Amino acid sequence: MDIEEQSIHTPKQLFPNQKYPIDGQVFKTLIESSLIWLRTNQQAVNVLNVFPVPDGDTGTNMVLTMQAACDEITNSPERNIGKLTHMVAHGALMGARGNSGVILSQLWRGFARALDNYEIMDGQLLVNALHQGRNTAYKGVVRPVEGTILTVAKDITTEAESSLADTQDPYDILERIVTAADASVLRTPDLLPVLKEAGVVDAGGKGLFIILEGMLRYIKGLALDVALAAVQPLAAMKLENILDSLEPGQDFEVVVDFHPNQDLNIPQFYEDLQRMGTSIQLGEGDGIYRMHIHVPADSEYVPIQYIKSLGVVTKAAIENLREQLENIEHERVSSLQFTPVEPGQIATIAVAPGPGIARVFASLGVSAIVEGGQTMNPSTQEILNAFENLPTDQVIILPNNKNIILTAQAVVQLTVKHVTVIPSTSIPQGMAAMMRLISTGDVKEVVADMNAAMSDVETGEITTATRSVEIDGVNVKEGQFICLLNGKLVLASNNLKDATLGLLNKAHTDHFELITLFYGADISRLEVDAIADTIRKEFPQQEIEVQDGGQPHYQFIISIE
Amino acid sequence: MNSENTPLGRVTISPRAIATIAHQAARQSYGVVGLTSKNLMEGITQVIVKDPTHGIEVKYDDQKISIDIYVIIEYGTRIKSVASSVSNTIKFNVEKALGMPVEQVNVHVRGLRVSDTD
Repeated sequence: MDIEEQSIHTPKQLFPNQKYPIDGQVFKTLIESSLIWLRTNQQAVNVLNVFPVPDGDTGTNMVLTMQAACDEITNSPERNIGKLTHMVAHGALMGARGNSGVILSQLWRGFARALDNYEIMDGQLLVNALHQGRNTAYKGVVRPVEGTILTVAKDITTEAESSLADTQDPYDILERIVTAADASVLRTPDLLPVLKEAGVVDAGGKGLFIILEGMLRYIKGLALDVALAAVQPLAAMKLENILDSLEPGQDFEVVVDFHPNQDLNIPQFYEDLQRMGTSIQLGEGDGIYRMHIHVPADSEYVPIQYIKSLGVVTKAAIENLREQLENIEHERVSSLQFTPVEPGQIATIAVAPGPGIARVFASLGVSAIVEGGQTMNPSTQEILNAFENLPTDQVIILPNNKNIILTAQAVVQLTVKHVTVIPSTSIPQGMAAMMRLISTGDVKEVVADMNAAMSDVETGEITTATRSVEIDGVNVKEGQFICLLNGKLVLASNNLKDATLGLLNKAHTDHFELITLFYGADISRLEVDAIADTIRKEFPQQEIEVQDGGQPHYQFIISIE
Repeated sequence: MNSENTPLGRVTISPRAIATIAHQAARQSYGVVGLTSKNLMEGITQVIVKDPTHGIEVKYDDQKISIDIYVIIEYGTRIKSVASSVSNTIKFNVEKALGMPVEQVNVHVRGLRVSDTD
């Protein structure tokens, strides 16, 4: 007789005609099936998380806990169910991760204790084991919160106990408790208000249901490695497109909100949609369903027509992804056009903290940009790399930050090229200097000119205080907006608009002509426009320009000249 | 005292109030079967007066809240996981109630309770 290793990836009818009591090896297969099924559904459980705590991905935690349990038995030839479940419990205990993992390990611990010294498990023993598991799990907490994995464990035990009246077969009992677990999970939002608010069911309870369902699916010969068509809560749907991952045939994104006329047959619905496109997501909340799909060109109306046949469409949106993609590519290419230099000419290198500022420098005629700024000082090597390949030996570096000047000066020693560092301490100084660049001029004269130009401009910077401090007589609380004028702290305020106006007043802006605001990555254009409007009112004599600087940490870098 | 200025006046929150929130959160946290006092003297007074902040110490200085908790954990659970989930639960609940960041939650495991031996 051939000895064939049983593969759990090709499920088959385990006991087609007769049903056996469960021994250690059968139980091992069931545990392995539940792990595979849990892993398949891991993400579906993770999205149910309500608490934004680190290490809080329930699905992942439960998978890791079950994985540890499985590792413990994977090579064991143990046929004694009592001994095998003790190994499972031990593995789960050692690998318990997160709250749900700890509770799961306690369920296994009680389960195993009930099977002590038993060779095989029949229906009565399964019920006893579930009962013990529940009791042990409930002992672990002073005040049990209902609507969690504990409730689901309790409900399946109750169902198992009452099913003993009808059957002694452990497989029949398993089937009944899977149904009970499913129902219990659906009730969790009624017991725990925080779940209801978030529009989700309890993640741990769902995980326990999946573990049991995995066993049942194996017995029934159903696939374990393909997730079921799942409906997620509306809030959990992730509709932001990752444009990078688009493939041909994903030309249009279609999102449809609808009320189905009858109960939606979800597996059928998925199957139909799969024939139309990819990236299918389905969400549900308060009776409204939201469908998301990517379809090829010319069939963008097909899913809408299809859904119209199922119910009432309340909203439909179509977006052309190709176009978006092309726009992004276009921007990427056109973003930085550096000025080419010829041998003998002067090349300038600027350090810039954000894409917007880099673009402005590029438009002013720099030959290369080094990324960097206050919190991310570039290395000498990075600066060196920026100009080593340029076909000229006259190079000017604009560090644009006090902390980078020294690094830039160190570069002078490392190259055969003739490098001059203009000690610009801010973006506006660097830009003022760039205005005076004549790339075909005499280096000494150009450098002198550029140095002189830096004093024509006042630099304002606004950022958020990372700690409370008192400097130069200004009292700053953590989280406040702080204003630096030419590198000195002059003002702190809770309000960005007040901070900006205060800074401009301190800078005696009324003696200057042009104010340029470079706004940072953390602030919206809307907010910027509102502030710019206020500035225009306050300083009617001055010209105000707004530029997207894209720099991190600094809400504004302001050039006053 | 933990205080915040509003247009109408000051709102102050005492460490004791914060400790009560932390205490409730800890009691609901899985694996924690009891809270215990830092030292014996305190323990005796707290047996007499039922204190809703038993086993919790809240320190507060310069906008930073740090919480110390003295717990008894169920024997047979993975203590590391229980401790990390109780600190996460406390941090989450206190921050949700106060709207202020919790800098530290230190969990001191003072003992284990044995309900079942394996």
